[in-house]
Amino acid sequence: MDADKIMKDLQDAVLCYDPGAAVKLTKAAIKAKVPPMDVIEEALVPAIEKVGDKFERMEIFLPDLMLAADAVKSSTELLLPLLPKEGRGIKATVVVATVQGDVHEIGKNIVASMLMARGFNVIDMGVDVKTSDLVETVKNRKARVICASALMSSTLGSQKDIVDYLVAVGERKKVAVLIGGGPTSKDWAKEIGADAWGADANAAVKLTEKYSKAR
Amino acid sequence: MVQILDVMEKALNGKPMSETDYQLKVFAPKVQEKVKAHGIKFDLNEPINEDDSLADDVFEAAVELLIDAGAYCTNTNRVISYTENEIKDALKTAPDALLMGEGKDKKWLRPRKIGDKTPPWCLLGAGGGACSSDRAFLTLMEGYAEIPETNAITTPALTRVGGMRIRPASPLELLGAMRNAVLAREACNRSGRQGIPMMNSLATAESDIALAAALHPTYGMRDSDGYMICCMDPMKVDFSRLNKVTVVLSMGGHIGMCFGPLMGGYAGGPESTAVSSTAHHLMGILTYQASWLLPFALHLRYVSSSSREMLALISATGQAISRNTHLISINLNYTSGGPCTPMCLYETAASVTAAVVSGQSIESTGVASNREEDRTTPVEPRISAEVGHAVAGMKRSDANELVKKLLPKYESKLPNPDLGKTLFECWDPEKRRPSKEYQAVIKAYKRTMSNLGVELKPEK
Repeated sequence: MDADKIMKDLQDAVLCYDPGAAVKLTKAAIKAKVPPMDVIEEALVPAIEKVGDKFERMEIFLPDLMLAADAVKSSTELLLPLLPKEGRGIKATVVVATVQGDVHEIGKNIVASMLMARGFNVIDMGVDVKTSDLVETVKNRKARVICASALMSSTLGSQKDIVDYLVAVGERKKVAVLIGGGPTSKDWAKEIGADAWGADANAAVKLTEKYSKAR
Repeated sequence: MVQILDVMEKALNGKPMSETDYQLKVFAPKVQEKVKAHGIKFDLNEPINEDDSLADDVFEAAVELLIDAGAYCTNTNRVISYTENEIKDALKTAPDALLMGEGKDKKWLRPRKIGDKTPPWCLLGAGGGACSSDRAFLTLMEGYAEIPETNAITTPALTRVGGMRIRPASPLELLGAMRNAVLAREACNRSGRQGIPMMNSLATAESDIALAAALHPTYGMRDSDGYMICCMDPMKVDFSRLNKVTVVLSMGGHIGMCFGPLMGGYAGGPESTAVSSTAHHLMGILTYQASWLLPFALHLRYVSSSSREMLALISATGQAISRNTHLISINLNYTSGGPCTPMCLYETAASVTAAVVSGQSIESTGVASNREEDRTTPVEPRISAEVGHAVAGMKRSDANELVKKLLPKYESKLPNPDLGKTLFECWDPEKRRPSKEYQAVIKAYKRTMSNLGVELKPEK
């Protein structure tokens, strides 16, 4: 299979929400000696951006977005080790989590998938994530942004805990804390000392773009 | 008959699977497969379904979905499977009437039929909306208790105790849940409706331990209240929720399972989310041992239930359940607009109409997506109940004409709704009535509704 066909089929695999096919085609691209950066920039990124746009217009739904994001993530995991350390094409590392005590996952999953779709290295820690575990991960993985979701008024306090914990361990200035979720607000973000509040997943992506560059 | 021990046995011995695989590789494709196999397609130009065969297709697809996908336990990472016979048996033995409340407020809650002239059961209040203080809680609760159409109350959820923000499964949540119970009953006592049932008991008790703690007789909860346990979307359960089920069963209480499938989420579009919502009804009587069901499907973007897709979804789900079962289904509606806006009132009129003419009762209202503290008043549920009574008995075709006239009044504003005002900005607790500004909004709204053929009570 020639390189052009591999690249087109890889785009199609993402557009068809097929992680298995994406992995096979990425391996084929590596074997065909397509530069890894070209695979990312010319196949994966344009495809996942199309998927993200479709999701925003509600032409496709959450499972499609998540599978497409998974396809891109699986492919980039194969490509990243092949890139020179300087100038890697992937954007900053972002830790995404639903805060301690809260098991709501859909909003968090949308944000994680859309961030992956925009080329960020996303560490999705899941739901009900202990504050100390989250901060440890941020430290160890040198994340520049935290996206912390809370969907219950009773779990808002866990967002404050993240900020307080970061301050206590001297990590606060190294990472931006973005918060979101049903009961959250701009005022709440200000009150707890978070960097910003995102009203929805689109806002979360825009804020992550902004704050990952600023650090 | 599947009982709680059977549910646990299934949860401990079902097929092991990761949560992501259940959601993305089982539930999501299965629901799409069922919609395709049954050829289910809504006509969004006619949002209220008038086609009985479509409603029946939604029901059949839902039964097949539950058989094929099952429920999922997040603690054991196993599928909780049900056979067709177990589903049929649960449908046969589910209660067809519940006696709720005490004294003169004691009433039978029964299932409704499509076009039923019997007014809907009106479960009125805040739908668990966040409430910042005891004062706001009591103000709202007294307002709800004073609404003549109130059959039961859905309380707000307290967010603070002793000036501290409540934390999950902490002493603060336990104290908040106890306070929720005591203040709710106190407000009804003050309003002279001592027997009125609370049916989202207990909104402040998100954790199992908080619910169990607040059920101590000291705090005044009763067997004749309703105990609401929220299902995780899609069709998921955990031990904390099953603990709540076990506690409520032990006291002989009536469990209502609430579930809010997101249109645009795991189930996909409006048709498949209607199938999912219908399947959740069946899953609820089995896994959550529910006596009544509380669907509140929401639009992923707008976090409300008033867009035309949502009206189609509500009507198809209500009709699927009403035509094929005797389950008690109470639809909770969310608005995007906030208090003191015409938008909010038109939205609630459309959603309530879709549910009531399709054989459901109503819970109302999650105002302004239920996102902000104290952004709700007693007006929105009162207006919802008045609409619910006014449209009971309305033909589906007439309801379609009505919602088609209501939709243009708010549809374009859904992406950027007017959030209106907060409780004390537009409700006078001393006079127990809305502000003059809000009264003017309500009067104008009622004039418009009258012009559309829906006569609501004259405003004082």
